Parts: sequence; C-alpha cells; structure tokens
Amino acid sequence: MTETIIAVKALSKNYRVPVRSEGLVSSLKSLFHPSYSQVKAVEDLNFEIGVGEMVGLIGPNGAGKTTTLKMLSGLLYPTTGEVRVAGYVPWERRPEYLRKISIVLGNKSQMLWDIPAMDSFRVLSEIYLVPEKEFRRTLDDLIDLLEMKDLLTKPVRNLSLGERMKCELTASLLYRPALLFLDEPTLGLDVSMQLRLRQFLKEYNRRNEVTVILTSHYMADVQALCPRVILIHHGKLLYDGALDGLARHLAPFKLIKITLDQKNGKTFLNFNQPDDKVEILEHEENKYVMRVEREQVPSLTSRLLQSNSVTDLSIEDPPIEAVMDQIYTGGAA
Amino acid sequence: MKHPGWALMRGFWLSWLQYRSFLFILAFGWMIPPLIYMLVWMMVAGSQGIAGFSQGEFAAYYLVLILVNQITYAQTNWTVGDMIRVGEMNRILMRPIAPVYDPLASEIACKIIYLFFDVPLVIVLALILKPEFHIGFTEAALFIPALLAAWALRFLWGYWLALLAFWATKADALLVLQDTLVFLLGGQVAPIMLLPDWMRGLAEMLPFRYMVAFPVEILTGQISGTAILNGFLMQAGWLTLAYILTMVLWKNGVRRYGAVGG
Repeated sequence: MTETIIAVKALSKNYRVPVRSEGLVSSLKSLFHPSYSQVKAVEDLNFEIGVGEMVGLIGPNGAGKTTTLKMLSGLLYPTTGEVRVAGYVPWERRPEYLRKISIVLGNKSQMLWDIPAMDSFRVLSEIYLVPEKEFRRTLDDLIDLLEMKDLLTKPVRNLSLGERMKCELTASLLYRPALLFLDEPTLGLDVSMQLRLRQFLKEYNRRNEVTVILTSHYMADVQALCPRVILIHHGKLLYDGALDGLARHLAPFKLIKITLDQKNGKTFLNFNQPDDKVEILEHEENKYVMRVEREQVPSLTSRLLQSNSVTDLSIEDPPIEAVMDQIYTGGAA
Repeated sequence: MKHPGWALMRGFWLSWLQYRSFLFILAFGWMIPPLIYMLVWMMVAGSQGIAGFSQGEFAAYYLVLILVNQITYAQTNWTVGDMIRVGEMNRILMRPIAPVYDPLASEIACKIIYLFFDVPLVIVLALILKPEFHIGFTEAALFIPALLAAWALRFLWGYWLALLAFWATKADALLVLQDTLVFLLGGQVAPIMLLPDWMRGLAEMLPFRYMVAFPVEILTGQISGTAILNGFLMQAGWLTLAYILTMVLWKNGVRRYGAVGG
C-alpha cells in the first residue's frame, strides 16, 4: 500500500438534538424544560486511506457520510476517536493543514456571489498564498479541463447550477490541495455534465496524485471514480473494500440471463431440482432472468447448457443499486 | 508576501460595490437620528447657548458624531448569527486564515464605501451650519487612537453578543439592545455632559460611551487632561473584556457548532 494520508481510529460522533412535538403548548413547555435526545451519527469508524486513492463514501440518507466528511476536513469535532489527515489533527484547523485540503459541500459556496468568477478566483488564490505564476498555470489547466472560459467574466449569481459547480471545483483546486473532499459533487447536474465532471475528476486524480474522498447517491459516480468504497449505515462501517467486491460481499447471489432456442423451451424447466435455490425474476417468451445463489452458479449453468439448446447465456452481478437498496431497507448484511 | 486579509478585503470591496446604492441608503438612514438631534439641540441652544454649548458647538459635535457613528458601527455583527444558523460558517472555518478576518475585512471594505457618501455630505452640512471647533494639535492626534479603539470596542462587543448564536438561535435581539444603549448612553440623544447626573455616571461606567461619544468629545474639545486619560483607560478595559469574551465564546462555540447543512 502507498503512504497513508488519512488514518481514522475509533471515530464516533454523537449529536444532541432538541426534541419537541409540534404545537404551541409543547413549544412553550420546551422553553422551560427542553428535552434532548442523543443521536449517534457515527460510531466507531476505523479505516486508512493512501495517497492518491479515490474512495467513495456511500450509504443511505442520514447514514453519517457527511458527518464523517466534516470530521475528516475539520469542520466538526468528534465525540471520541482519533483522526490524522496528512499528519494533522483536522479540527485544529491549522492554516498549513487547510492549505492542503479542499472541501466542496453540496450547496455551500466558496465563490463570492456578486462578483465575476475570475475576481473570486484571484481573491481565493491570494488567501491561499498561491504565487501569481502558479495561479495562472493552474487556472489555465482547470479552465481547459472544465471548458469554462466563458464563465470567468460573469457574476456567480448569474450562472447555472452546473456552471457554478465548475466554478466551485476550480475554486477548490486553485491551490492544488493534496486532498479533496467532495460531498455530492454531481447533485443536480444533467447527465452530460455528470459525465464530464467524472472524467475531469478521474483525469485530475491521475495527473496530480490527489487523494479524493467523495460521497454520492449516484452509484454511477462511485462506479466511474472509486475503485474502493466505504459503506456506512446507521453510522457504522459496513464494508470497506473494492467496489466490485461490494456486491459479492453483500449480495450472495448472481443473475443468470438465458435465451433459449424457441423449439426446446419446455425442457428448460427440467433442471429444477429440490435443492436448487433459484428465483425467476423475469420471463418473457424464451428469455429468462434468474437469481441464483452464488455457489450454485457453476453447477446450475452446466446443467442448463446440457439440457437445453441455449442461444445466449450470461452471468452477472446484480446491479449495484439493487444491492444497495437491499442494504438500505434492511434486507441483506 | 501580502497578508491574505487584504485579498479578503478586496473581495468584499468588490462585492459591496455591487450594493453601493443599498449602502448609501443605509448610510443615509444612520445619519438621520443624529441630524434630528443636532437640529433640536441647535434650536434649544438658540443664540445664548445652553449648558455651555453654543449652536455652533452642537453642530460641530453632531457632525463629528455622524462620521464617528458611521465608522464605528459594526454592521457585520448582524450577519454572524445567520451564518452560524444556516451553516455559512463552514466556508470561513475552512479558510487558511483566522476566521475573524472575514468580518474585519467586510467592515473595512464597506466603511470605505460609506465614507464616499458621508464625507461630502458632512462637508456640505458644515458649510451651511458653521460648526465651531476649538481644537489643538494634541486633540486631533488623540482623536485617531480613540476612534480606532471605539471601533474595535463596538465591533468586538457586538461580535461576542452575536456569537451567542452558537447557543441560542436568535441572539440578534441583544444587538438591538446594544444599539439602543449606544443611542441613549453613547452620546447620540445628547452629549454625555448634558445628561442628568445619574445617567451621566452610568454612561461613564458602561462601555457604550467609549464606542461613539468619547472620540467625539476629544475632537470637539469637551474633555481634556485626566478626563481623556480616564477615557482611554476605560476604553482599554472594556476592550480587553470584549476580547476575552469573544475568544472564550468563539472557542467553545465552534466546538459546539453543528456545521449545519450540506
């Protein structure tokens, strides 16, 4: 493994949330006797991330992804546990540390709203002490990569969401941070913008060995960008490893798609023996999609091929969204 | 290398310039109460004067006060609470520069714009109202540090009040109270000298006089010698307290800060 840049040990965060039921009476009551409940947003997280890795932080709404991201970047103090990022304790927020990292939070802007983007970039570059020459070079690179030359002279408030995200990314990369935290970077972008953004992030990561951690609800983002994922659910780490291992780890079945020669369609059913755990998910004329337990796949496939005249057969992992949905709704794991 | 605070200030300056007409209207609004009190006192003073103040001296007092009030008014304190509540603080916390530079840079940037509006207006008023100044070099020289300390005090005092938003959702009400007290005890409704004894005693004890009236009194020659020295000591004392409170509240508040929102 490459050099470690993020080390997280036994990280937990509890929030104290004021609770009260609706209505005027209860609001008066809570004025004198406020009641709180403890919410465990993150519980005992442990992981390490190496330099240059691209890691997807995934999980359902309220899983604790953003809380984790905020603790890693230094916005939040943890309740217990230790974090080292690039050798620093994030929440001490030392200027040297803050110049090394960048965080893009969904709808929060680094840009100054009322002035042209270029002015914002210049101001930011000075805040981050970027020398003029380097600023020009980095900016030119980013403008090329993101194709945003036309945006520079417009006030940020007049830009579209996608255009603003481009500016946001440029702003966050101007000082060439070693670490990039992205919270839902493609939220609200159209398909082609999403594609472009992914290409850009991939390219940027490859060229600059930047470590990227991103949260996203679009599995397409994660699939395109992150060889490794960390799955958090109810604040706990459920899976940490390769994305293609996620399905295997969490969903113990595969999909067999088979197309039969029309004439021999009937013999197909003969394979069904008592200990087979097969569920036919779709059936349309001579095409079948079956869910089969992982360990049964080899024997079942060979039997299928022996007893049928098959024109097409494929074995696939279930779509990642389906696996995720099962976990999120409490099915698997 | 230049301090990054300058860059922040330029950013704010550019942003505020987009709002200059809004700022001019605000500046005009802040000018009105002192103008009214000036006219009232000038009328009361008539040609004989009152309590040792002539008409021209009232004019001088209030014209200086308009400028001092504008320079020391800490407008950014009003946005601190909102920034905490809606999570705007995130952006500021993530910058590699002490967070207090953000309101400071904003303050200085908008002040420059206000003064473009205020100074010409005050000069025109001065030509009409013929204020009487009797100042020497010492008063003029002492006015500057008194003014800067007044601004720092008014800013920090409002800032620690605003930081209470870390604990209570609407801390702005305390800023309204501060404005009211500055109005009553900071030399706006009347010069401190003209207040009833008990009120005057209170004004001299509390911080509000040192946010506005004190530098004005120096420049208009109302106080001298030990009175000036005492004023500076009071200013320094309150400033130290405001600074300590700000630091303590900030440190604890940020720990508590939920880093709200996306």
